[in-house]
Order: sequence, then C-alpha cells, then structure tokens
Amino acid sequence: MKTLDVQNVRKQYDEVLAVDNVSFKAEPGRILGLLGPNGAGKSSTIRMISYITIPDEGRILFGNEPVSPRTQAIMGYLPEERGLYPKMKVAEQLVYFGELKGLSRAEAKQKAAYWLDRFGARDWVNKPTNDLSKGMQQKIQFIATILHDPKLLILDEPFGGLDPINADLLQSIIMELKDGGRTILFASHRMEQVEQLCDDICLVSKGQIVLSGPLNEVKRRYGRNTVEIDFEGTPDFVDALHGVRVTQRSSRHVQLQLEEGSDPAAILQAAIAGTDELIRFERMELPMREIFVKAVTEEQGAAAAAEVGTDVNTAGGAK
Amino acid sequence: MNRISVIARNEFVTRIRTKGFIITTLLGPIILIGFFVVIGIVSVKSLTPESSEIAVLDSGAQLVDRLDHDMISFTPVDVPEDSARAAVLAGQWDGYLVVPDDVSTGGTLRYYTTSGGGSLFSSDLRNTVVAAVRALRVEEQQVDAEVYEAIMATVAFDTVQLTDTGEDRGNTAAFMVVGFFMGFLIYMAMLIYGSVVMQGVMQEKTNRVVEIIVSSVKPFDLLLGKVLGIGAMGLLQMTFWALLIAAGTFFSGAVISLFVDPASLQLPATASTDEVLAAMDFTVPAIGADLFVWFVLYFLGGYMLYATLFAAIGSAVESQQDAQGLTIPVMMPIIMSIVFIQPVIEAPDSTLATVLSLIPFTSPIPMVVRIAVSDVPFWEIALSYGLLVLAILGAVWIGARIYRVGILMYGKKATYRDIARWIRQS
Repeated sequence: MKTLDVQNVRKQYDEVLAVDNVSFKAEPGRILGLLGPNGAGKSSTIRMISYITIPDEGRILFGNEPVSPRTQAIMGYLPEERGLYPKMKVAEQLVYFGELKGLSRAEAKQKAAYWLDRFGARDWVNKPTNDLSKGMQQKIQFIATILHDPKLLILDEPFGGLDPINADLLQSIIMELKDGGRTILFASHRMEQVEQLCDDICLVSKGQIVLSGPLNEVKRRYGRNTVEIDFEGTPDFVDALHGVRVTQRSSRHVQLQLEEGSDPAAILQAAIAGTDELIRFERMELPMREIFVKAVTEEQGAAAAAEVGTDVNTAGGAK
Repeated sequence: MNRISVIARNEFVTRIRTKGFIITTLLGPIILIGFFVVIGIVSVKSLTPESSEIAVLDSGAQLVDRLDHDMISFTPVDVPEDSARAAVLAGQWDGYLVVPDDVSTGGTLRYYTTSGGGSLFSSDLRNTVVAAVRALRVEEQQVDAEVYEAIMATVAFDTVQLTDTGEDRGNTAAFMVVGFFMGFLIYMAMLIYGSVVMQGVMQEKTNRVVEIIVSSVKPFDLLLGKVLGIGAMGLLQMTFWALLIAAGTFFSGAVISLFVDPASLQLPATASTDEVLAAMDFTVPAIGADLFVWFVLYFLGGYMLYATLFAAIGSAVESQQDAQGLTIPVMMPIIMSIVFIQPVIEAPDSTLATVLSLIPFTSPIPMVVRIAVSDVPFWEIALSYGLLVLAILGAVWIGARIYRVGILMYGKKATYRDIARWIRQS
C-alpha cells in the first residue's frame, strides 16, 4: 500500500515549460483521474512518474521512496500510443515485458497464461500481434502492463479501441485491482469514464493544476444547478424560460444551468406543457465534461488576459 | 546487467528465427560460390578460344609454315590486301595477318579483323606469331636449337616471407586474399550489422514500444542489450560462414585443379592434382592464431563502435529517408577504409596504411589487412586497439545521451545541431 506523492515538480523542454510546479497525491485503493487538454503536460508528468525523464525541480515519491529503477519494477505504464512488437508472438511478447520488469521466465509465463485466460485470449498465444485486431492488441497491451502485479498503475486512455463488452471487462478488472489496494492513475479525455471510475481528480492546463480534489467534492463546488431534460417534440420551450442558461440543445435533449433564484418546478411545468412527451427531468451536479470545459477556459482566459500585452511580441518572435 | 542480458537474448532469439536471417545465412555462401563458379566457367571457356580461320598474306613465305595452333588455322593466300580485306568483311575469314618482308629484323606484323577479339584470343594469336618469328630468327641467325631452348626455359621465382617464427614460403598472394576477405567481413559487420541496429532502434521508436521498455529499463541498458544481441547474431552468422569457408579451403585444391589445364603449366595431361597444385605454387594458407584473434577483436570492436553510432542516429529519426542524411558522415570512414584496402594490401607499411590503421574510425579494416600480409610491430597493434577501445567508450557515452533523448522525440526531423544540443543537455 503505497502513496504516490508528486511534489512541486517542474519540467522544461527547450523553450516550453511543460510542467510548472505541479503537486498532487494519489492514494492506494483509489483512482486518480489525471485530466487536461492536449498538450497540458499530462504526458510529461506521467513520464517523470514512470522515471522515463527526470524533473528539473521538485521530486516524486512512491511509498516514501524517490522514483528510481526500483520503483519502475513495481509500476505498470499503459501509454496512450500503443506499442507492441508487430512480429513477436503474443505469449513471447508478454513474457519479455514481464522479464524486463524483473519477473523470472517461469513466473512471467505463468502470469501471462493466467491473464490471457481472464481476458478470454488464450487462443492468441501463438499469433503475432500483427494478426490481431486493434481491440485484441489493446487487451494484450493491458496484460503487459499488469503482468508483474504492479503497485502503481498508470493507464492512459485504457479503453481506446475496445467494444462495450470488452470495455466492461476491462473496467471490472481495473476496479478489482483498485480494491486490491493498488494506486491507480487514470488519464483520459472521456469524461463519462472519469465520472464512473475516478475517486479523485487532478486537472492540469498549460502545465499547472487548475482543479484537484476528491471527485464528489469538486462536483459539489460547482453546485447542483444543472437540469437535463429528455423529451419527444421540439426544444423551443426553452426560449421562453427565464433565469437559465442553455448549455446543450438538440431535438430530444436540453441541458440548462440554473441561475440564482430560478425555480426548477417552473421549468418542469414548462417542459411538460412545451413538449409532446417528457421522458426525463433531472436536477443534477454539473457533469465532469462541463466542469472540465469551464475550468480550462476560465484558466486559459485569465492567462490570455494577463498575457495580452506581450502576445504581439511573442507571436512575432516565434516566426 | 540482468536486464541487459534479457534484452540481448530477446534480440538474438527473435532475429535468428526470422526467414530473412535463415535465408541470408544459408544463401550467402551459395551465392558467393555460384559467383566464383560462374567466373571459373567463363574464364575456362575463354581459355580455349573458338576455332578461327585466318588468312595470312606472307609474300616471302617466311612464317606460314611455322604458324601452328590447335584452334586457329592459318591459310596462306596470295591476293592483294584489298581483296583480303573484302573477304574478311564478307565473313569468309575471321581476319587476315600481314607479314612484312623485314619481319625477322623488326618489321611490324599487322592483324586485321572485324571483331575486337577477346583478350585471351589475341594473346594466343600473339604468342603463336611471336613463337613463329623467334623460330625464324633462330634459324636465320643459325642459333643452336638447344641453346635457344636453354635460354627460353621457364625461370622459377619464389617470394619468401620472413617472420619471427621462421619462413613462410610463397603464400604472399594467398595472404592478400585472406586479408582482403577478412577486411571485407569487418566492413560487413560495421555497415550491415550497424544498419540492422539502426533499423531496430527506428522500428521500436515508430512502433512506440520504446516508451514501454524505458518505463522498465534504463535507455542505456536497452541500447547496450540491443547492440550486444545483434552482435551475437552477426557473430553466429560469421561463424557459420567461417566453418563453411574452412571446409571449402580444405577441398579447394581439388576444385581448383579441375579448372586448370595441366598443359598450361607445361605438365603432361596425366599430371596428378598434387603436381598441378605444386606447379601453380598453390598451398592452402595456414592462418596464424594471432591473425585470427586480432580479426575477431577488430571485428567486434569495429561493430561495437559503429553499431552504437548507428543506434544513436536511429533514435533521432522516424523514417529511413530522414536517416539517410544523418548516416553519411558516419559511413564515410567505413567506406574510406574499404576504398583504401587495395593500397594497404600493396604497401602494408606505407604511411597511409599506418595512419589509417591507427585512427579508430578507420582502423579495423586496414589493421587486419596489414596483420595478414605483413609483420606489424606489436606496439602499433596495441596502440591502434587501445585507441579503438577509447573511441568505443566515447561513442557509447555520446550515443547513449543522444539515444536517451532521441527515442522520445516525435514529429520533428532532427539535425546534427539538435543532436549536439541533446548531448549537452542530458
């Protein structure tokens, strides 16, 4: 049971400050969602945690020990860009990755067989990865990540390319690993998955943390001011509403944000009257997706406003 | 160390199983032997020229009776040169030979033909004509036939190489071949196995496997494991070929004697294989232990040096095209050392040979060639190898720094300037 502790980490590549004074903790038995727009510094952070690169400043501890080749051996990293040897056979490949993590050949073989069984992939043992579908390769990649029973798991978009059945299988295995006391870092752009899986979140933008904490606490911060309505008919009734902001609008669905003092009951009345059939009416917390957009745009807006004076010069200089 | 051996073993095992490896290993010698067989057949064929018919314009009838050759028939004709020319152009004769009246006192014989004629044919013709003219002169000068025979008898000449352990008789030519061959193998090790390493690094990078591997092992271990594993593969291939060659040399005498006409060595047609080989001065060269040891050491050293450099380049690029520009400066010294192999064989103690065999980037090929064909002072070899080892350590140090940054760089075509920055930064 080890905690991952990232302390004031900073990393610069050439002129780009990729990670700027980032600190967070990931607890064992919990899943931390590492979120952020493309290029926010997630990959740079993950690379430092997995000891592929070294921070310029700050330090990273896993179980009170600075990350090192030793912590690498108890860490499993599933990168967003998949990587397998195309011509190697599935079993050989898994055994090789296991050996690189310090397993003996026999152990690696045994564990590969166990996990291939769990994923219903026993028939592929002697197939070269080339011959496998994207989803199959994805499963093999995941097995390679957990083969050596790591205490820290870093999963970057682990569900990419999986059909719903396999996604459910993978999700149940991730939950099982979490319940077994592993520390899990989950990076994704799929906010509905983040909401389902994560206990804590950490949102980075432009190399800095803009939002972090337990998921439900973060959501509480944004209030229970969202109303979602599913219906048959037209969404035109929303035009007559007062004290709301429309954030989603389509032929069968609207999402509204309640402003101070507006009455949900009145909205419900309007929805019943204004649509052919009301299917769902829900007052809820702001979905993670909206929180993400809001936090990032507010942050970037503030940063852009602060930089307005120098923007012209840097744009000219970059050319 | 454990991780390095896991990586090396995986590289070795997965590579020697591939069809490509098995085919090149088995087919390499077959292609080489096939190549020599074709050369042998062609040259043996051209040794026996096709029969040709030549008209001889010999107004004084000085030579006609003395011209004699198995395959070339000489027919005296008594026509003006114009009609002989017309007859040759019409295809009646293969050519015509004009014998001047003063042929025995230095007049020039001229042979006119439509075809250029093979060089072997023209030398046959020339030898026949020269022999005839000499016979004529001997007769005109009233030289005793026995005296003439004695003067013209074959002069035997042998080169004997002096070495510390004694004399090595007459194998200079054979050792030139051995030296050339060994040089060529080292060239292969540096260039071909070096590019295999580069390809491997590039593939791992473009497959993105590398990110997973370096989250398990240090980039340096990956680099070293790869270089060692592919080196072991190369060594296996070379050992297999060396055994074939050893077997081949063992039987080479018998094979060579098949292609040689005893008559050309002034031996009776019934001469035994041994007699033929002795007359050709052919003996299978015995390769000394020291030559062999140095060959293996330079083979490995040259490979290590260039494999590391090629790996560094492979890590900096994402495609073959991008790699090309960067590999040229690395390939230059290799190509230079193979280009200079001829001058080094001919003058193994020249300044050029000595300098080339001391500079670490060019030393493996020229030094092995020099050791094969001459007696190189030990201190020179020791200095050369010491410098090579230093260069390898330097290359590994620099290569590892480039590699560490390069394998994680995507989307930008690296230049030498970028690479220099990576070395400074990491």
